Amino acid sequence: MARKSINRLGELERAVMETVWAMTTPERRTVSVREVHQALSTGRDIAYTTVMTVMGRLAEGDLLSRQRSGRAYLYAAVGTREELTASTMREQLNTVNAEDRRAAILHFLDDASADEISELKAALAEVEARQAGSIGKDSKGVRR
Amino acid sequence: MLLTGPAQRLMARMHRFRRAPREALLVWQAVSLGGVLAALSLAPASVAGFREAPTWLVWLGLLIAAAMVARLLWSGHTVGSGIRADRRRHRDLVDLLGTHADPVHGTQVRVLAHPTPTAYCLPGLRRRVVLSEGALAALPADELTAVLAHERAHLRARHDLVLEFFTVLHRSAPPWLRAPEALREVRLLIEVLADRAARRTAGEVPLARALVTLARGVHPQEALGAGGGSGGESTTVARMALLAQPTAGFGMRLVMTAFGLVVVAAPVILLVMTLV
Repeated sequence: MARKSINRLGELERAVMETVWAMTTPERRTVSVREVHQALSTGRDIAYTTVMTVMGRLAEGDLLSRQRSGRAYLYAAVGTREELTASTMREQLNTVNAEDRRAAILHFLDDASADEISELKAALAEVEARQAGSIGKDSKGVRR
Repeated sequence: MLLTGPAQRLMARMHRFRRAPREALLVWQAVSLGGVLAALSLAPASVAGFREAPTWLVWLGLLIAAAMVARLLWSGHTVGSGIRADRRRHRDLVDLLGTHADPVHGTQVRVLAHPTPTAYCLPGLRRRVVLSEGALAALPADELTAVLAHERAHLRARHDLVLEFFTVLHRSAPPWLRAPEALREVRLLIEVLADRAARRTAGEVPLARALVTLARGVHPQEALGAGGGSGGESTTVARMALLAQPTAGFGMRLVMTAFGLVVVAAPVILLVMTLV
Protein backbone atom coordinates (compact mmCIF):
# COMPACT_ATOMS: atom_id res chain seq x y z
CA MET A 1 0.00 0.00 0.00
CA ALA A 2 2.78 2.37 0.96
CA ARG A 3 4.67 1.38 -2.14
CA LYS A 4 1.79 2.35 -4.35
CA SER A 5 1.61 5.89 -3.01
CA ILE A 6 5.37 6.28 -3.44
CA ASN A 7 5.15 5.19 -7.04
CA ARG A 8 2.38 7.63 -7.70
CA LEU A 9 4.43 10.38 -6.20
CA GLY A 10 7.25 9.43 -8.57
CA GLU A 11 4.86 9.68 -11.48
CA LEU A 12 3.76 13.09 -10.33
CA GLU A 13 7.34 14.30 -10.09
CA ARG A 14 7.90 13.16 -13.65
CA ALA A 15 4.78 14.96 -14.83
CA VAL A 16 5.80 18.17 -13.06
CA MET A 17 9.34 18.08 -14.44
CA GLU A 18 8.04 17.44 -17.93
CA THR A 19 5.64 20.36 -17.63
CA VAL A 20 8.40 22.66 -16.41
CA TRP A 21 10.64 21.59 -19.28
CA ALA A 22 7.83 22.09 -21.78
CA MET A 23 6.84 25.50 -20.48
CA THR A 24 10.24 27.10 -20.13
CA THR A 25 12.30 28.50 -22.98
CA PRO A 26 15.64 30.31 -23.06
CA GLU A 27 13.70 33.59 -23.10
CA ARG A 28 11.37 32.63 -20.28
CA ARG A 29 13.20 30.50 -17.79
CA THR A 30 10.85 30.39 -14.80
CA VAL A 31 7.34 29.19 -14.05
CA SER A 32 5.07 29.54 -11.05
CA VAL A 33 3.26 26.74 -9.24
CA ARG A 34 -0.02 28.18 -10.52
CA GLU A 35 1.07 27.85 -14.16
CA VAL A 36 2.25 24.28 -13.67
CA HIS A 37 -0.94 23.42 -11.83
CA GLN A 38 -3.03 24.87 -14.66
CA ALA A 39 -1.16 22.90 -17.28
CA LEU A 40 -1.39 19.67 -15.27
CA SER A 41 -5.04 19.94 -14.34
CA THR A 42 -6.14 19.81 -17.97
CA GLY A 43 -5.14 16.15 -18.01
CA ARG A 44 -5.93 15.08 -14.46
CA ASP A 45 -7.67 15.99 -11.26
CA ILE A 46 -4.97 17.42 -9.07
CA ALA A 47 -4.88 19.82 -6.12
CA TYR A 48 -2.86 23.02 -6.22
CA THR A 49 -1.25 22.19 -2.89
CA THR A 50 -0.12 18.82 -4.22
CA VAL A 51 1.71 20.49 -7.09
CA MET A 52 3.24 22.93 -4.64
CA THR A 53 4.47 20.10 -2.41
CA VAL A 54 5.93 18.16 -5.32
CA MET A 55 7.72 21.23 -6.64
CA GLY A 56 9.08 21.93 -3.19
CA ARG A 57 10.44 18.39 -3.04
CA LEU A 58 12.03 18.72 -6.44
CA ALA A 59 13.68 21.94 -5.32
CA GLU A 60 15.05 20.18 -2.24
CA GLY A 61 16.37 17.44 -4.48
CA ASP A 62 18.24 20.02 -6.57
CA LEU A 63 16.24 19.39 -9.70
CA LEU A 64 14.43 22.70 -9.64
CA SER A 65 15.81 26.02 -8.47
CA ARG A 66 13.53 28.58 -6.96
CA GLN A 67 13.54 32.28 -6.29
CA ARG A 68 11.09 34.38 -4.39
CA SER A 69 8.85 36.67 -6.39
CA GLY A 70 6.43 38.62 -4.24
CA ARG A 71 4.39 36.15 -2.22
CA ALA A 72 5.17 33.09 -4.32
CA TYR A 73 8.19 31.25 -5.65
CA LEU A 74 9.25 31.08 -9.27
CA TYR A 75 10.81 27.80 -10.35
CA ALA A 76 13.28 26.83 -13.04
CA ALA A 77 14.70 23.45 -14.01
CA VAL A 78 18.40 23.25 -13.12
CA GLY A 79 19.10 21.56 -16.44
CA THR A 80 17.43 20.25 -19.52
CA ARG A 81 16.42 16.63 -19.58
CA GLU A 82 19.49 15.86 -21.67
CA GLU A 83 21.82 17.63 -19.25
CA LEU A 84 20.39 15.79 -16.26
CA THR A 85 20.60 12.47 -18.08
CA ALA A 86 24.23 13.16 -18.92
CA SER A 87 25.07 14.00 -15.32
CA THR A 88 23.24 10.89 -14.11
CA MET A 89 25.34 8.82 -16.48
CA ARG A 90 28.51 10.49 -15.24
CA GLU A 91 27.58 9.91 -11.63
CA GLN A 92 26.90 6.28 -12.34
CA LEU A 93 30.19 5.75 -14.15
CA ASN A 94 32.11 7.55 -11.42
CA THR A 95 30.98 5.22 -8.66
CA VAL A 96 33.17 2.55 -10.23
CA ASN A 97 36.19 4.44 -8.94
CA ALA A 98 34.96 5.20 -5.43
CA GLU A 99 35.88 2.39 -3.08
CA ASP A 100 33.11 2.94 -0.53
CA ARG A 101 30.38 3.67 -3.01
CA ARG A 102 30.83 0.65 -5.17
CA ALA A 103 28.26 -1.40 -3.32
CA ALA A 104 25.64 1.23 -4.15
CA ILE A 105 25.48 0.36 -7.82
CA LEU A 106 26.41 -2.96 -9.37
CA HIS A 107 27.63 -2.64 -12.93
CA PHE A 108 27.45 -5.29 -15.59
CA LEU A 109 30.92 -4.29 -16.72
CA ASP A 110 33.53 -3.29 -14.23
CA ASP A 111 36.79 -1.99 -15.47
CA ALA A 112 37.89 -3.29 -18.83
CA SER A 113 40.52 -0.92 -20.14
CA ALA A 114 40.90 -0.05 -23.79
CA ASP A 115 43.99 -2.25 -24.04
CA GLU A 116 42.12 -5.31 -22.95
CA ILE A 117 39.52 -5.30 -25.66
CA SER A 118 41.65 -7.30 -28.07
CA GLU A 119 42.29 -9.76 -25.27
CA LEU A 120 38.55 -9.99 -24.65
CA LYS A 121 37.88 -10.56 -28.31
CA ALA A 122 40.36 -13.41 -28.43
CA ALA A 123 38.72 -15.01 -25.41
CA LEU A 124 35.32 -14.62 -27.02
CA ALA A 125 36.53 -16.38 -30.16
CA GLU A 126 37.71 -19.21 -27.96
CA VAL A 127 34.35 -19.50 -26.19
CA GLU A 128 32.54 -19.46 -29.52
CA ALA A 129 34.82 -22.07 -31.02
CA ARG A 130 34.40 -24.41 -28.10
CA GLN A 131 30.67 -23.96 -28.14
CA ALA A 132 30.54 -24.72 -31.86
CA GLY A 133 32.69 -27.78 -31.28
CA SER A 134 30.75 -29.14 -28.32
CA ILE A 135 27.30 -28.67 -29.80
CA GLY A 136 28.22 -29.47 -33.36
CA LYS A 137 24.95 -30.42 -34.99
CA ASP A 138 22.92 -27.89 -33.03
CA SER A 139 24.32 -24.81 -34.78
CA LYS A 140 22.92 -22.40 -32.21
CA GLY A 141 26.33 -21.15 -31.17
CA VAL A 142 27.83 -19.31 -34.12
CA ARG A 143 26.08 -16.58 -35.96
CA ARG A 144 28.54 -13.86 -36.66
CA MET B 1 45.63 -11.21 12.67
CA LEU B 2 46.87 -13.84 10.32
CA LEU B 3 43.35 -14.22 9.01
CA THR B 4 42.86 -10.56 8.17
CA GLY B 5 46.03 -9.47 6.41
CA PRO B 6 48.36 -12.16 5.08
CA ALA B 7 45.80 -14.93 4.72
CA GLN B 8 43.53 -12.78 2.63
CA ARG B 9 46.32 -11.61 0.40
CA LEU B 10 47.30 -15.21 -0.16
CA MET B 11 43.74 -16.29 -0.84
CA ALA B 12 43.28 -13.57 -3.41
CA ARG B 13 45.97 -15.28 -5.42
CA MET B 14 44.31 -18.68 -5.45
CA HIS B 15 42.46 -18.34 -8.69
CA ARG B 16 41.36 -21.93 -8.71
CA PHE B 17 38.69 -21.08 -6.16
CA ARG B 18 36.97 -18.85 -8.67
CA ARG B 19 35.48 -21.89 -10.31
CA ALA B 20 33.30 -22.46 -7.27
CA PRO B 21 32.17 -18.88 -6.66
CA ARG B 22 29.48 -19.71 -4.12
CA GLU B 23 31.77 -21.73 -1.88
CA ALA B 24 34.61 -19.28 -2.40
CA LEU B 25 32.43 -16.47 -1.13
CA LEU B 26 31.48 -18.59 1.83
CA VAL B 27 35.14 -19.16 2.63
CA TRP B 28 35.83 -15.45 2.30
CA GLN B 29 33.05 -14.59 4.66
CA ALA B 30 34.20 -17.26 7.08
CA VAL B 31 37.79 -16.06 7.04
CA SER B 32 36.76 -12.46 7.63
CA LEU B 33 34.34 -13.39 10.35
CA GLY B 34 36.95 -15.65 11.94
CA GLY B 35 39.40 -12.75 11.81
CA VAL B 36 36.93 -10.45 13.51
CA LEU B 37 36.12 -12.99 16.21
CA ALA B 38 39.81 -13.65 16.81
CA ALA B 39 40.52 -9.94 17.08
CA LEU B 40 37.65 -9.46 19.48
CA SER B 41 38.68 -12.29 21.75
CA LEU B 42 42.36 -11.34 21.70
CA ALA B 43 42.20 -8.88 24.59
CA PRO B 44 39.89 -10.87 26.93
CA ALA B 45 41.80 -14.06 26.21
CA SER B 46 45.21 -12.63 26.97
CA VAL B 47 43.88 -11.21 30.21
CA ALA B 48 42.42 -14.58 31.13
CA GLY B 49 45.84 -16.07 30.50
CA PHE B 50 47.08 -14.50 33.75
CA ARG B 51 46.27 -16.25 36.97
CA GLU B 52 44.28 -14.00 39.23
CA ALA B 53 44.41 -11.03 36.94
CA PRO B 54 43.70 -7.75 38.70
CA THR B 55 40.24 -6.40 38.11
CA TRP B 56 41.44 -3.37 36.16
CA LEU B 57 43.19 -5.63 33.66
CA VAL B 58 40.01 -7.61 33.07
CA TRP B 59 38.14 -4.38 32.48
CA LEU B 60 40.84 -3.17 30.12
CA GLY B 61 40.55 -6.35 28.07
CA LEU B 62 36.81 -6.02 27.84
CA LEU B 63 37.15 -2.35 27.03
CA ILE B 64 39.43 -3.06 24.09
CA ALA B 65 36.96 -5.64 22.76
CA ALA B 66 34.10 -3.18 23.24
CA ALA B 67 36.03 -0.48 21.37
CA MET B 68 36.48 -2.88 18.45
CA VAL B 69 32.77 -3.66 18.38
CA ALA B 70 32.01 0.05 18.45
CA ARG B 71 34.35 0.69 15.57
CA LEU B 72 32.77 -2.10 13.56
CA LEU B 73 29.27 -0.82 14.21
CA TRP B 74 30.28 2.73 13.42
CA SER B 75 31.84 1.86 10.08
CA GLY B 76 28.85 -0.34 9.35
CA HIS B 77 26.63 2.61 9.97
CA THR B 78 28.60 5.13 7.89
CA VAL B 79 29.21 2.81 4.96
CA GLY B 80 25.64 1.55 4.99
CA SER B 81 23.93 4.90 5.22
CA GLY B 82 26.25 6.40 2.59
CA ILE B 83 25.46 3.60 0.20
CA ARG B 84 21.74 3.87 0.80
CA ALA B 85 21.70 7.65 0.35
CA ASP B 86 23.63 7.39 -2.93
CA ARG B 87 21.32 4.70 -4.13
CA ARG B 88 18.14 6.54 -3.22
CA ARG B 89 19.30 9.71 -4.94
CA HIS B 90 20.31 7.85 -8.04
CA ARG B 91 17.09 5.88 -8.15
CA ASP B 92 15.02 9.04 -7.92
CA LEU B 93 16.98 10.48 -10.84
CA VAL B 94 16.60 7.35 -12.89
CA ASP B 95 12.88 7.17 -12.20
CA LEU B 96 12.52 10.77 -13.17
CA LEU B 97 14.62 10.71 -16.32
CA GLY B 98 14.38 7.14 -17.50
CA THR B 99 11.70 5.78 -19.74
CA HIS B 100 10.14 2.45 -18.99
CA ALA B 101 11.55 -0.25 -21.17
CA ASP B 102 9.54 -2.68 -23.17
CA PRO B 103 7.28 -4.47 -20.65
CA VAL B 104 8.83 -7.79 -21.71
CA HIS B 105 11.99 -6.73 -19.92
CA GLY B 106 10.13 -6.27 -16.65
CA THR B 107 8.74 -3.35 -14.70
CA GLN B 108 11.96 -2.61 -12.84
CA VAL B 109 13.90 -1.72 -15.96
CA ARG B 110 14.55 1.93 -16.80
CA VAL B 111 16.16 3.26 -19.95
CA LEU B 112 18.30 6.39 -19.95
CA ALA B 113 18.41 8.38 -23.17
CA HIS B 114 22.18 8.37 -23.61
CA PRO B 115 24.38 6.96 -26.37
CA THR B 116 27.09 5.51 -24.09
CA PRO B 117 26.26 1.83 -23.64
CA THR B 118 25.96 0.88 -20.00
CA ALA B 119 24.02 -1.54 -17.85
CA TYR B 120 23.79 -1.61 -14.07
CA CYS B 121 21.43 -2.27 -11.23
CA LEU B 122 20.41 -0.48 -8.07
CA PRO B 123 19.84 -3.11 -5.38
CA GLY B 124 17.50 -2.74 -2.46
CA LEU B 125 13.81 -3.02 -1.79
CA ARG B 126 12.89 -0.72 -4.65
CA ARG B 127 15.33 -2.23 -7.08
CA ARG B 128 16.01 -1.03 -10.60
CA VAL B 129 17.86 -2.32 -13.61
CA VAL B 130 19.13 0.58 -15.68
CA LEU B 131 20.09 0.40 -19.34
CA SER B 132 21.17 3.22 -21.61
CA GLU B 133 19.75 3.62 -25.09
CA GLY B 134 23.28 3.02 -26.29
CA ALA B 135 23.23 -0.41 -24.64
CA LEU B 136 19.85 -1.26 -26.14
CA ALA B 137 21.12 -0.28 -29.57
CA ALA B 138 24.34 -2.24 -29.25
CA LEU B 139 22.98 -5.47 -27.81
CA PRO B 140 21.09 -8.01 -29.91
CA ALA B 141 18.17 -9.72 -28.18
CA ASP B 142 20.05 -12.74 -26.86
CA GLU B 143 22.87 -10.65 -25.44
CA LEU B 144 20.34 -8.35 -23.79
CA THR B 145 18.73 -11.38 -22.20
CA ALA B 146 22.13 -12.35 -20.82
CA VAL B 147 22.75 -8.87 -19.41
CA LEU B 148 19.32 -8.73 -17.79
CA ALA B 149 19.74 -12.21 -16.33
CA HIS B 150 23.09 -11.12 -14.87
CA GLU B 151 21.60 -8.02 -13.24
CA ARG B 152 18.56 -9.89 -11.95
CA ALA B 153 20.82 -12.47 -10.35
CA HIS B 154 22.55 -9.64 -8.46
CA LEU B 155 19.23 -8.26 -7.29
CA ARG B 156 17.67 -11.57 -6.38
CA ALA B 157 20.61 -12.88 -4.38
CA ARG B 158 21.26 -9.48 -2.75
CA HIS B 159 24.92 -9.57 -3.75
CA ASP B 160 25.09 -5.97 -2.64
CA LEU B 161 24.77 -7.09 0.99
CA VAL B 162 27.76 -9.40 0.63
CA LEU B 163 29.76 -6.58 -0.87
CA GLU B 164 28.61 -4.19 1.83
CA PHE B 165 29.64 -6.66 4.52
CA PHE B 166 33.15 -6.80 3.11
CA THR B 167 33.37 -3.06 2.59
CA VAL B 168 32.46 -2.56 6.25
CA LEU B 169 35.07 -5.06 7.44
CA HIS B 170 37.62 -3.54 5.13
CA ARG B 171 36.99 -0.11 6.55
CA SER B 172 37.06 -1.23 10.17
CA ALA B 173 40.42 -2.96 9.90
CA PRO B 174 43.42 -0.77 10.65
CA PRO B 175 44.97 0.41 7.36
CA TRP B 176 48.11 -1.74 7.66
CA LEU B 177 45.96 -4.85 7.96
CA ARG B 178 43.62 -4.12 5.08
CA ALA B 179 43.81 -6.29 2.01
CA PRO B 180 42.47 -4.44 -1.02
CA GLU B 181 43.07 -7.58 -3.08
CA ALA B 182 40.48 -9.32 -0.92
CA LEU B 183 37.82 -6.76 -1.67
CA ARG B 184 38.63 -6.95 -5.35
CA GLU B 185 38.45 -10.72 -5.31
CA VAL B 186 35.07 -10.67 -3.57
CA ARG B 187 33.81 -8.25 -6.16
CA LEU B 188 34.95 -10.59 -8.90
CA LEU B 189 33.32 -13.60 -7.23
CA ILE B 190 30.00 -11.79 -7.10
CA GLU B 191 30.24 -11.06 -10.80
CA VAL B 192 31.14 -14.66 -11.53
CA LEU B 193 28.10 -15.82 -9.56
CA ALA B 194 25.84 -13.55 -11.58
CA ASP B 195 27.56 -14.71 -14.77
CA ARG B 196 26.77 -18.30 -13.85
CA ALA B 197 23.10 -17.39 -13.53
CA ALA B 198 23.16 -15.54 -16.84
CA ARG B 199 24.89 -18.46 -18.50
CA ARG B 200 22.14 -20.79 -17.34
CA THR B 201 19.46 -18.50 -18.78
CA ALA B 202 21.04 -17.21 -21.94
CA GLY B 203 23.97 -19.48 -22.74
CA GLU B 204 27.65 -18.67 -22.52
CA VAL B 205 28.17 -17.36 -26.04
CA PRO B 206 25.60 -14.53 -25.81
CA LEU B 207 26.97 -13.60 -22.40
CA ALA B 208 30.56 -13.56 -23.67
CA ARG B 209 29.49 -11.48 -26.64
CA ALA B 210 27.64 -9.05 -24.40
CA LEU B 211 30.80 -8.53 -22.35
CA VAL B 212 32.75 -7.67 -25.48
CA THR B 213 29.98 -5.52 -26.95
CA LEU B 214 29.70 -3.37 -23.85
CA ALA B 215 33.45 -3.17 -23.26
CA ARG B 216 33.86 -1.95 -26.82
CA GLY B 217 31.07 0.55 -26.35
CA VAL B 218 32.80 2.20 -23.42
CA HIS B 219 36.08 2.46 -25.33
CA PRO B 220 35.01 2.97 -28.93
CA GLN B 221 38.50 3.77 -30.13
CA GLU B 222 40.76 0.85 -29.47
CA ALA B 223 43.37 3.20 -28.07
CA LEU B 224 46.80 1.70 -27.68
CA GLY B 225 48.48 2.34 -24.37
CA ALA B 226 45.88 4.94 -23.48
CA GLY B 227 43.74 3.61 -20.63
CA GLY B 228 46.60 1.87 -18.88
CA GLY B 229 44.32 -0.09 -16.59
CA SER B 230 44.70 -0.56 -12.87
CA GLY B 231 47.60 -2.97 -13.14
CA GLY B 232 46.98 -6.67 -13.42
CA GLU B 233 44.09 -8.16 -15.29
CA SER B 234 40.70 -6.54 -14.97
CA THR B 235 37.72 -8.41 -13.62
CA THR B 236 36.21 -8.47 -17.09
CA VAL B 237 39.09 -10.46 -18.54
CA ALA B 238 39.00 -12.83 -15.58
CA ARG B 239 35.25 -13.33 -15.98
CA MET B 240 35.67 -14.06 -19.64
CA ALA B 241 38.25 -16.73 -18.88
CA LEU B 242 36.00 -18.27 -16.23
CA LEU B 243 33.02 -18.41 -18.55
CA ALA B 244 34.59 -21.26 -20.37
CA GLN B 245 35.35 -23.31 -17.27
CA PRO B 246 32.95 -25.66 -15.54
CA THR B 247 32.03 -25.33 -11.89
CA ALA B 248 34.51 -27.02 -9.56
CA GLY B 249 33.89 -30.60 -8.52
CA PHE B 250 31.87 -31.61 -5.49
CA GLY B 251 34.92 -32.70 -3.48
CA MET B 252 36.63 -29.37 -3.75
CA ARG B 253 33.46 -27.54 -2.85
CA LEU B 254 33.01 -29.73 0.20
CA VAL B 255 36.58 -29.09 1.33
CA MET B 256 36.10 -25.35 0.91
CA THR B 257 32.89 -25.37 2.93
CA ALA B 258 34.53 -27.39 5.68
CA PHE B 259 37.48 -25.03 5.75
CA GLY B 260 35.10 -22.12 6.13
CA LEU B 261 33.43 -23.72 9.14
CA VAL B 262 36.75 -24.51 10.81
CA VAL B 263 37.97 -20.96 10.36
CA VAL B 264 34.92 -19.53 12.12
CA ALA B 265 34.89 -22.17 14.82
CA ALA B 266 38.59 -22.01 15.70
CA PRO B 267 38.66 -18.61 17.44
CA VAL B 268 35.50 -19.42 19.35
CA ILE B 269 36.90 -22.71 20.60
CA LEU B 270 40.24 -21.11 21.49
CA LEU B 271 38.52 -18.38 23.46
CA VAL B 272 36.36 -20.83 25.35
CA MET B 273 39.39 -22.97 26.13
CA THR B 274 41.37 -20.07 27.58
CA LEU B 275 38.45 -18.81 29.59
CA VAL B 276 37.41 -22.11 31.11
